[in-house]
Amino acid sequence: MMRVSVISAERAVFEGEADAVVAPAYDGLVGILPRHAPFMTLLGTGIAKIHRSGETIRLRVAGGFLQVASNVVRIVAGSASPADS
Amino acid sequence: MAKPRELKRRIRSVQNTRKITKTMELVSTSKLKRAQDRVVGARPYAQALAEVIGELYSPELAERFPLLRQPGRSVRGAGVRRSALLLITSNRGLCGAFNSNLIREARRRLEELEAQDTHTELHLVGKKGVSYFKFTRRNVASQRVDIGDRPTLRHAEELVQPLMDRFAAGDLDAVDVVFAKFNSAVSTPPTTMRILPVTPPTKRRSVNYILEPSAEEILDELLPLYVQNQFYRALVETAAAEHGARRTAMKNATDAGQDMLTILQRTFNRARQAQITQELAEIVGGAEALKG
Repeated sequence: MMRVSVISAERAVFEGEADAVVAPAYDGLVGILPRHAPFMTLLGTGIAKIHRSGETIRLRVAGGFLQVASNVVRIVAGSASPADS
Repeated sequence: MAKPRELKRRIRSVQNTRKITKTMELVSTSKLKRAQDRVVGARPYAQALAEVIGELYSPELAERFPLLRQPGRSVRGAGVRRSALLLITSNRGLCGAFNSNLIREARRRLEELEAQDTHTELHLVGKKGVSYFKFTRRNVASQRVDIGDRPTLRHAEELVQPLMDRFAAGDLDAVDVVFAKFNSAVSTPPTTMRILPVTPPTKRRSVNYILEPSAEEILDELLPLYVQNQFYRALVETAAAEHGARRTAMKNATDAGQDMLTILQRTFNRARQAQITQELAEIVGGAEALKG
């Protein structure tokens, strides 16, 4: 498990624990699992998926960056909103 | 002593005014709550952005980014030669000294800049600032009155992007923003913040990140966002501060109305009593005269 927070310019969109995160980086999808090495990348536009004990939360994100450090994932996007499946 | 009818009319008028100010107070209170939520909501993003820029920033990289260019090392030699001042005011009045405080701060800053021989252009947001500077007939570079009390990131982008481009091109040496800092609902001091050149948040690089792409490219992407976000926060905080100021102003007005009512009511009662006493005296006097 790791902590994930998704923050948009206006508010914090998601905050919680997760088993895996798949996010649209500037050049393609990146998958983050617990105990990932410190990592920082720019985000593109697309759907970020947060997997947590069987369920998946889908968020539409655009711009910004993703940062992983000591089992904390931060998706800081210019805009982020729940995506309809 | 004033006539009872005259007093009655004034009582009614004060009552109506008090009703209006009371309502405005309540409206501002609920709008303040929502505006405050937006201020708080914008914080984590700004914090995250500042942290990351602080971690990626190093003095060696600074030379390569136009947005970090310090005025001392400007293309045209030393000092700030040309700068822009953005003043944020509200569109509506009845919020006490809120707008005049902001305008005063902007004038102070303008004088300060002009004393250093800096050519300063003025950009205005909000009707109150626009009408003030129209009155003083100062040249205004741009003005906007359509933002209202729910500013969005888009608004901030539209306003800041042209300034960033011109700063990067060397056309401007500094950009300041005058806004109301929202410390709390009752403390909203007018503040000047320099958004360009960017003062990088100071934080030593603590963790060795895998960077993708390079630190330089990430910074290149994030610095404009940082500037935009600073301005967005200035807009949001000013909007919240406006509601705070209006609530306080309207509360004072309601209280003053209440005090006035108490005095008027008392005067009215006394006048009414005096009239009754006088009429009784006249009737008694008349009856006595008839007896005689």
